[in-house]
Amino acid sequence: MRLLLIILFPIVTFAQESQIRFKPTFNAHEIEIGKSYPFEKRSISIENLKFYISNLVIILNDKIVFQDSLPARLIDIENKISLSINVKNGLKFDKIVFNLGIDSITNVSGAFGGDLDPTKGMYWTWQSGYINFKLEGKDPLCKSRHQKFQYHLGGYAAPYNSLQLISLNLDKKSTRAEIRLPIDKFLKAVNPQNQSEIMSPGSRTVELSAILKQLFVVRSW
Amino acid sequence: MVKTIFIFCILAIFTMALSNTNYRFEKPSHFPEALYDFSKNPLKPEIIELGRKLFYDPILSKDSTISCASCHSPFNAFAHTDHDLSHGIRDQIGFRNAPALFNLAWHSNFMWDGAVNHLDMQALAPISSHTEMDEDISNICLKLSMSDNYQKLFEKAFGNNNISGERVLKALSQFQLSLVSAESKYDSVIQNLTVFTPQEKKGYELFLKHCNSCHSEPLFSNFQFADNGLQIDTTLNDFGRMKVTQNKADSLKFKIPSLRNLQYSYPYMHDGRFKKLSEVLNHYVKGIENRPGLAKDLAKKIPLSSTEKVDLIAFLLTLNDKKFVFNKEFGFPKLDK
Repeated sequence: MRLLLIILFPIVTFAQESQIRFKPTFNAHEIEIGKSYPFEKRSISIENLKFYISNLVIILNDKIVFQDSLPARLIDIENKISLSINVKNGLKFDKIVFNLGIDSITNVSGAFGGDLDPTKGMYWTWQSGYINFKLEGKDPLCKSRHQKFQYHLGGYAAPYNSLQLISLNLDKKSTRAEIRLPIDKFLKAVNPQNQSEIMSPGSRTVELSAILKQLFVVRSW
Repeated sequence: MVKTIFIFCILAIFTMALSNTNYRFEKPSHFPEALYDFSKNPLKPEIIELGRKLFYDPILSKDSTISCASCHSPFNAFAHTDHDLSHGIRDQIGFRNAPALFNLAWHSNFMWDGAVNHLDMQALAPISSHTEMDEDISNICLKLSMSDNYQKLFEKAFGNNNISGERVLKALSQFQLSLVSAESKYDSVIQNLTVFTPQEKKGYELFLKHCNSCHSEPLFSNFQFADNGLQIDTTLNDFGRMKVTQNKADSLKFKIPSLRNLQYSYPYMHDGRFKKLSEVLNHYVKGIENRPGLAKDLAKKIPLSSTEKVDLIAFLLTLNDKKFVFNKEFGFPKLDK
C-alpha cells in the first residue's frame, strides 16, 4: 500500500498542476539559440529572443479564474524557467489573455525591480521606455555588420504605442496550454534582407507588433 | 531585572523607530506641489546618502573616470561651467550642454528634448551614452556588489545588500530630489523677509512682462518645450524634441530651463553657445530667427533698452542661491575609512 502511494503521489501531483508554457518555434521546432535554421534558401540563426507579457489572466466560461500576481514577466528563451507559468493546481481554463509588452502607465512610473529591472536589457536608455519584444540573429543576406538583424520593438506613447492585447481561445477546457510563437513567420513578414535593424519606436514598430499579435497560437497540452 | 528588560525593550523600539524614519520632503511654502510620486520611492536619509555616494563615484563609468558630478558640479548648481558641451569618458565631447540640477521633483520630463520621462530612469541615459559614461547598469550592479562598502551601504539603505538596477536608480533619484534650491534673494522677497533694490524691482517688472510666460515663477520655468529662435548650429544639427516625438511641429524645440542659479551655471542654451547673460538678452532683443515653429511669445522681438537689460540682469541675479550651491550636505561625500 505504502509503495503504491509513493508511486502514485508524484503522478497525482503532476496531473493536478496547471501550467501555461511558451514555445517560440522556427519551422515548427522549438528554437535553440545559435542553431541554424533553413529559411528561404539560406540558413539563419537566432541569438536572442526575449519579450514581455503583462497582466496575464486565465478565463473559463467568460469568467476570470486566475490573475497573475506578477505585473509582468520576461519570457527569455535562454532562461527555460521563464517559459513556463504555473497556475493554481487543477485549474481548468478555456481562454488566456495577456498584453504583449508593458503598458504606458508602467512605462512612465519610474524604476521597477524583478523582471522589469533595467538590468534585464529590455529598457531603452537614450529614450525612456521598455522594449516589449527583442529578436536578434544572423542572416547571410543582411547587409549589416556581421550580417546581424536586430529587432527591438517597443514604444508606449501615441501615436506609436506598440502594446498588443493577445487573446487566445483553447480548443477545449484544459489545465495546460502551450502558446507557440512561430518566429520564421515573423521573419518572413520583416524580411531581414531588406530591413536588418529596428531599434526605436515608430510606425514600423507598431506594424510589426500587430503582426506578432496575429502569430500567437495556443493548444491544450 | 524586569526593570532592565523593560528599559532595554523601550530603547530597542526607539532605535527601530529611528532607523525606519523616512525623510520628509520639505516643500518650500511658495512652491507648488511636487510632481514626483514619493510614495513609490519614499525618501530615507540612508538612501539619500547612498545616492550621494553613487553620484560622486566614477565607478558608474566604464573605466571609472567619470562620475555624475564630473558634468554636474555642486559649485556650478550641478551644471558644468565653462563647457559648452558635456565632456565624457576618454575625453569625448557630447552634443548638448549639461543642465543644472535642482528642484527636480517639479519636473515632468528630463533632458533638453524630454527623452526621459521619469527622474528614476534619467541616469540610464548618461550611463549608457558612449560619449559620456559608456557603461551598462547591469555591470554597475556587478561592480558595486564586489565592494564591501557598497554592500554595507545598500544594507543600511534598503535592509539587505541586494544590489539591483532599481535600487541604484532610486538611490540616485533620492539624492537628486534632495537638491532643492529655494533660498535665493528672490525667495526671501516673496516670503516678505526682505525687499528688492529699486533696480532689481524694475528688472522684476520687466521679467514679468517679457519672460514669465515661459520662465514662470517660482520655479522659473513652465518646463514645456519651445523654439526660441536660435540659429541652427550646423556642426551639431540638433533638432531637439522632434527626435523624440518624430513630429515636425517639434522641430528645434528644447526644454525651457529654469533661470535660477544662472550665475553658477553658465554657459547657456542647449548647446552652451552663450557665455554671458548679456549675450542671452541680446539674442532675445535682436537675434531671434523667425520661423514657423517659433514660440508665439517671441514672434515680436523683446524690446529692451541698454538700461533695461542691466535692470533685468540685476533681477536675474537675485535668483542665485548661494546657500544651495555651498550646502555641504550636497557636496562630495566623506571618504571611506
